[in-house]
Amino acid sequence: MKKLVMRWEVLLLALLVIELIVFGMINPRFLRTSSLLYGTSDFVQVGIVAVPLTLVIIAGGIDVSFASTVGLCAITFGIANFFGLPLAASLAVGFGTGALAGVLNATIIRLTRLQPLVVTLGSLYLFSGAATVLSGVVGANGYEGIGGFPTAFTNLGYAQVLGVPMPLFVFLCFSAVLLVLLHMTRFGRLVFQVGQNEEAARHSGMPVARIQMWTYVLTGLAAALAGLLLSAYFGSARVDLGGATLLPAITAAVLGGASIYGGKGSVLGTIIATFVIGYLQQGLQMSGVPSQISSALSGALLVIVVAFRHGLALLSAFVPARSSQTN
Amino acid sequence: MLNWIARDRVATLLLVTIAVLLAVGVAAPGFLAPSTASMIWSNGLVLMLIALGVFPVILTRNIDVSGGSVLGLSAITLGLSLNAGIAMPIAIAMTLGAGLAAGAVNGVLVAVLGVPSIVATLGTLGLFRGVMLIATGGEWIEELPETLKALGAKSLSGLSVMGICTGLVIIAVWAFLRSRRGRWVMVVGDNRAAARHLGLPVKRIEFLAFVWGGGMAALAGITFASQIGFVPNQAGTGIELRAIAALVLGGISLLGGVGSVAGVVIGVIFFTSIDTALVFLKIPAYWNDLIGGAMLLTVLLIDGRLRIALEARDRAARYHRGDAQAPQSQKLEDAA
Repeated sequence: MKKLVMRWEVLLLALLVIELIVFGMINPRFLRTSSLLYGTSDFVQVGIVAVPLTLVIIAGGIDVSFASTVGLCAITFGIANFFGLPLAASLAVGFGTGALAGVLNATIIRLTRLQPLVVTLGSLYLFSGAATVLSGVVGANGYEGIGGFPTAFTNLGYAQVLGVPMPLFVFLCFSAVLLVLLHMTRFGRLVFQVGQNEEAARHSGMPVARIQMWTYVLTGLAAALAGLLLSAYFGSARVDLGGATLLPAITAAVLGGASIYGGKGSVLGTIIATFVIGYLQQGLQMSGVPSQISSALSGALLVIVVAFRHGLALLSAFVPARSSQTN
Repeated sequence: MLNWIARDRVATLLLVTIAVLLAVGVAAPGFLAPSTASMIWSNGLVLMLIALGVFPVILTRNIDVSGGSVLGLSAITLGLSLNAGIAMPIAIAMTLGAGLAAGAVNGVLVAVLGVPSIVATLGTLGLFRGVMLIATGGEWIEELPETLKALGAKSLSGLSVMGICTGLVIIAVWAFLRSRRGRWVMVVGDNRAAARHLGLPVKRIEFLAFVWGGGMAALAGITFASQIGFVPNQAGTGIELRAIAALVLGGISLLGGVGSVAGVVIGVIFFTSIDTALVFLKIPAYWNDLIGGAMLLTVLLIDGRLRIALEARDRAARYHRGDAQAPQSQKLEDAA
């Protein structure tokens, strides 16, 4: 029982509930089902990239390039659509770009053995640059969007599945798949093992390179998914669609319990953390707090929560030593 | 040749920079002039200061991504206090104080509380930006006094006051890293456990590295405000990543303990001269990210592969030497 209560996910869930109650007291409209449900459309894209990013972090890597990949995939989709490809083919182009971006990251990391942060930093610029240049191809120069999507596609952004808005539904399905993949399959165990001790994994004959490659490809695909959802939601594909997801997504993964040193983390934690961060922003906005302040508060939240967790770890490191002395 | 390229990153990057500048000079006459050099220097000042600030932090095997927000925070401290009629020296002291305090927050989080530096500074990146926006109420700070702009304006020699300051900082960092205490910074990053066993104040060194980073970001904030003459909300956004990219290009290892001031300077100049060259070549500004990113990745790829090849050769030579007897070893060492 104690073990269950002290689980990080449970603490996060409690944090989420407290947050909802506090904002509900400030502004009762916040707790309406419709605003809780439809509010998610503004932040689920953060969760969609944060969940596979959790896998990357668990496997001992980090990816910051997804923020540009979101825009790049949206742009390639928009271009394919612009040149008259059928919707299914255009979507395939978008997802293909995302997967390729992941393959490129993983390959360069593998080839150079450099830290993933450095490599994905380079591709962060490369992808956003490529997206900007590509959007110029169809005449939408600079940060103007590519529009003119078929209505079947734009309707997707506002569709409902089982009473749940489409973006939220996609997020929940996608993260459920990754939850199963990480916590219940052989692949998931390998991801943890690679992150815990890469050398040990390699020496025991595990396909380290392939596992890491898959985590980056999944992140690329997720970025494509987020980019396409956002394009459907806004009705246009823009280069900077994903720019605002960079910090919240890493925050969500870390807040969700992923250790930046690898080997630790959970998909469920990241999912809950996404809602904590998302509803924090929304609740603050509905309580009349300017959006700039809410960004400060979510930064503060990350620092406080992580410092709290490390403080706890420091404490628990001290306590057994003392109790063993008294015994 | 292979050896030399892989072993001396700074010299190689210097050659590449010169080659790029010459190539641009051929393509765009009028590029190779003293005025361009002074332009590149002043365009790169803010990036240079941020990079010099992150440099010791990375040497201790930490990272600081909050630089852009500390820049913004200190720039508005300067702007608000100047516009409130506070005298320039006091305003500058307050600005530096704000930067040092922000750095100290990072330092406490990392060195005292033991939060991983990337997480801590990612949090403070949002936090400081928010504090800045709260202080300004989301408005830009305009109409800064002329005395401030004079700091960023070029004098006859083509150098501004801030440009000279930055030069002095570079020399100071260089001298410090050659000193006994300067080596400590390297030791902490190279082998933290060993540094502890040697009795070095590891946590204090880490803390001071972050405080230095904050102070340099404040200096960058002053430079930014003096060069532009106003402080927009997004002042400094994204510059922390550019600074880290420039450092990596200059051969500073994110694994700590490896890097030189010359590497920092040449890395920043390389990045800035590409941006400046694109202007001269009349390439639209939206190509900047693509070309910068591709250059960075190419350099990393070549450098990484060379390093791996070199290590393999060293290892092969070592095994070889183990087989053969002593007289041969001298020759093989030269070959390696």
